[in-house]
Amino acid sequence: MVGPSGVPAGPLLHVSEPIDPALWAWLSDKIDHTLGLSPGVIIAIIGTFIVVFPIVVMVVAVRNRPSRKSVE
Amino acid sequence: MVSKSQPEKQSLYYGWYIIGALFFATLIAIGGRQGFGVFVKTWEQDWGVTTTTISIAAATGWLVNGISQPFVGRLTDIYGGRRVVVWSLLVMAIATMGVATVTNIYGLIALYGFIISFAAGGISPATTGVIIARWFEKKRGIAMAVLISGGSVGGMIVVPFLSYVLIEFGWQTAWLMIGGLALAFGVPLLLIVVRSNPVDMGLEIDGEESENTPEAEVTVRPVGPKFAEKWKDALNSRPIWQLSVTYFVCGITTASISVHFVRWAISEDISTGTAALAFGALSGINACGVLAIGLLSDRWQRKNLLAAVYLVRGLAFISLFVLPGPIAIWAFAVIGGMSWLATVPLTASLTADVYGVRNLGTLFGFANMAHQLGGAAAVMLFGWAFTAWGSYDIPFAIGAATLLAAGIISLSIREKQHSVRYVQVPAGGATGSELITQDGD
Repeated sequence: MVGPSGVPAGPLLHVSEPIDPALWAWLSDKIDHTLGLSPGVIIAIIGTFIVVFPIVVMVVAVRNRPSRKSVE
Repeated sequence: MVSKSQPEKQSLYYGWYIIGALFFATLIAIGGRQGFGVFVKTWEQDWGVTTTTISIAAATGWLVNGISQPFVGRLTDIYGGRRVVVWSLLVMAIATMGVATVTNIYGLIALYGFIISFAAGGISPATTGVIIARWFEKKRGIAMAVLISGGSVGGMIVVPFLSYVLIEFGWQTAWLMIGGLALAFGVPLLLIVVRSNPVDMGLEIDGEESENTPEAEVTVRPVGPKFAEKWKDALNSRPIWQLSVTYFVCGITTASISVHFVRWAISEDISTGTAALAFGALSGINACGVLAIGLLSDRWQRKNLLAAVYLVRGLAFISLFVLPGPIAIWAFAVIGGMSWLATVPLTASLTADVYGVRNLGTLFGFANMAHQLGGAAAVMLFGWAFTAWGSYDIPFAIGAATLLAAGIISLSIREKQHSVRYVQVPAGGATGSELITQDGD
């Protein structure tokens, strides 16, 4: 049950199989070539998204959490 | 004078915030597992092992993840989805950080192959889909589709993140960071935002106005004629088998392509770069396709869309052995991309429509297990067939035939007779209603 590089493959993942290392090496080269950003900058950009997204969802959800009002 | 409490009308239904939280959990959980492939070469050098040895951990994880689905689904039905997703992400996060301390393949098999992969079953459609099915009925299709797309986004975001952290700081730091982020942000997010049922917040499904008493701790929902009081009851009816068999075919045709597509491309003298580019196109089309199918499925019969998805994928398979390789790879990327993820929200929604949500985790967990086992079997058989015949033509033809069968089986589902969308047994009947109680979480 292994891909050409020995590990279940592919960015076309249907469930959560690991990405194929050979394909990822090719893709990361293309990303480097196209964006021209240093690894540190890419880490900072993606890391910021991973941190900010849950905080925003949490804050907005808590602010809009349905509160029960009293009725007679 | 009796004072009663009633939830205020909200501008945006709270269920959409729950989708946001589960989307993030799915993104981290699936993205983290997909990132495994990034570390293979590093581990080979550090531990002096072969890729095949490391693949044992990946293969073990695949099977464990499949087998875990009915169990975590059952836990979801018993204890509520919130508890299961919170504990699953907590265990997964700690075990992911633990991988940083591993010094050999045995530790990797134990942590990744067993613990992380089992816990990841708790952040799968068998659990997250159940929560969404309890919050959404009229927009269940698009809600499921948005959630499922979190897996695709996870691959696009988390895999590069892990790769660049590996380059800058080493593989141990990469595993510590992704586990730490899940622990620091994912777990609190689920704890604070997610609730198993709308009734836990005094809301109604789809944000409808309540017809129950304001202080009711029980919501009565109409159900379809096949509503499963006990999960075993469902096994005596046809729809669960129709859905599981078609999902089994889904597993066969997606897993075999995931593993064998590059090898097929190489056998057709197509470069790895072109194959990767075609995969990228397929992923983009796939994300759009699942959202489009989700929208349509809230308007049309879901079984017809499910049949269409399988038949379209069948056409993609046929293109692989009928067309010349360089054309076939792009035909497959475009045609196959439209159908790739779309089966998940359709199968989950149909299961919920027919059997209700009380035992949905267990029932969809069974279907998920069928999917994973079908995939594992197909990967081995496709490999055996290529070794025996030196070509993928026969396996691809068999794949196309199974997809044709899946399309016909999907069409044979009597949705208008079984689904709560079309036939509702009035609430309050002896067996014709589903009581949704507060989980107290």
